[in-house]
Amino acid sequence: MSELPVLSVSDFIGLVNQTLDLAYGSVIVEGEISSFRVAKEKYVYFDLKDDSATVNCFMTVYQLRTPLEDGMRVRVYASARLTEWGRFSLVIRAVEPVGEGALKKALELLRAKLEAEGVFDPARKRALPEYPERIGLITSADSAAAADFIKITGERWAGLSIQLVDVLVQGVDAPDHILAAIEHFNQMSQPPEVLVIIRGGGSADDLAAFSTEPVVRAVAGSRIPTVVAIGHETDLALAELAADLHASTPSNAAELLVPDKKEVLAQLGSLRQQIGKWLESGVSLKQAELKQMKQEIIQAMSLRIGGIEHELTLKRTLLDALNPMKVLQRGYAIVRIEGRAIASVRKLKISEAADIEMRDGIARTEVRSVEAG
Amino acid sequence: MADTTKTYAALNTELDEVLAHLQSDVDIDQAIVLYEKAQKLITEIEDYLKAAKNKVEKVKLKFR
Repeated sequence: MSELPVLSVSDFIGLVNQTLDLAYGSVIVEGEISSFRVAKEKYVYFDLKDDSATVNCFMTVYQLRTPLEDGMRVRVYASARLTEWGRFSLVIRAVEPVGEGALKKALELLRAKLEAEGVFDPARKRALPEYPERIGLITSADSAAAADFIKITGERWAGLSIQLVDVLVQGVDAPDHILAAIEHFNQMSQPPEVLVIIRGGGSADDLAAFSTEPVVRAVAGSRIPTVVAIGHETDLALAELAADLHASTPSNAAELLVPDKKEVLAQLGSLRQQIGKWLESGVSLKQAELKQMKQEIIQAMSLRIGGIEHELTLKRTLLDALNPMKVLQRGYAIVRIEGRAIASVRKLKISEAADIEMRDGIARTEVRSVEAG
Repeated sequence: MADTTKTYAALNTELDEVLAHLQSDVDIDQAIVLYEKAQKLITEIEDYLKAAKNKVEKVKLKFR
């Protein structure tokens, strides 16, 4: 018998784990979940099985991106480990549902959970800025989705500043990338006015990152209003339900977010004509008012002048009536002594010269006698 | 030349204010001043929309 080293149990387990690290440091295993349970609200245990074998799995609750349950087919990203109690298990880094059935089930479970919490409540939706100036864009920088969004915002609007964070938009690491990008923008001292999260079409598996719990919660909890447009599917990703606005495609996101400058320029053209008409009508109105005022003044003046003239006529008539010289026409005479009119015989002296003015001349006389009445 | 330091939102708000004033009870002299101001603002906005460009900046983050 060859000489083999004698190992303690701990050393043996340590050696096995070293070997496992070297040979199977990182594995991906696919199977069906059974005996799923959560202990102390922190630790997740389940068995992963196929038709003929079973392996124990362990992970923490914080690593769970999506609800799991028995019967679900999943893929686990893990490392193999022999515990100090001699139990072999897979220590899971990430787990994702596999196949349409499992994905759909996971989605249903998560949607129900988040709906019950009010994460998708329409009352939570915030208004987007009418004329955004700064946009935070989260997507794959080299994707058609990014190109479409940038092209259409460029055609429709002007003066935008777009900060683009390049992220993975599918695969097991995608949720971490998307979360980091959302956090980056939310922590800026001068954050953008709106966050746009987009990706183009793909299978349900491809789009799964946008229906993981951490991503959905990050979208809902973002202090910056969010617009999410994932794929071309009619079924919405959960992040789209949590967003303040969801769009059907990345291009549609651009259309909903910014106005069309062609329409705005046309409206401005109409407005020019409109205010020109306002001014014209205002001037016409003032002109009409002035004309009316002028007529009223003329009318008032005419009445006044007429009144004055009438008054003059009356006074002329009266004056005429009061003209002392008119009295002579009726046969009366004015007696004057030294040019002064005398109204009483008592003022007359015998032998005094008196002038008698009659309607057609003056007679010079001498007072011969006076007889008072 | 249009004041490109002002954003569309700022110019549009200013125009809305002038238009509101123009539609209120102002005398003809004031109306002419406001009319000219509105026309000038419309020109500024048009120039802005035609001339201003969008800026795209790529941000590299370090991921775990």
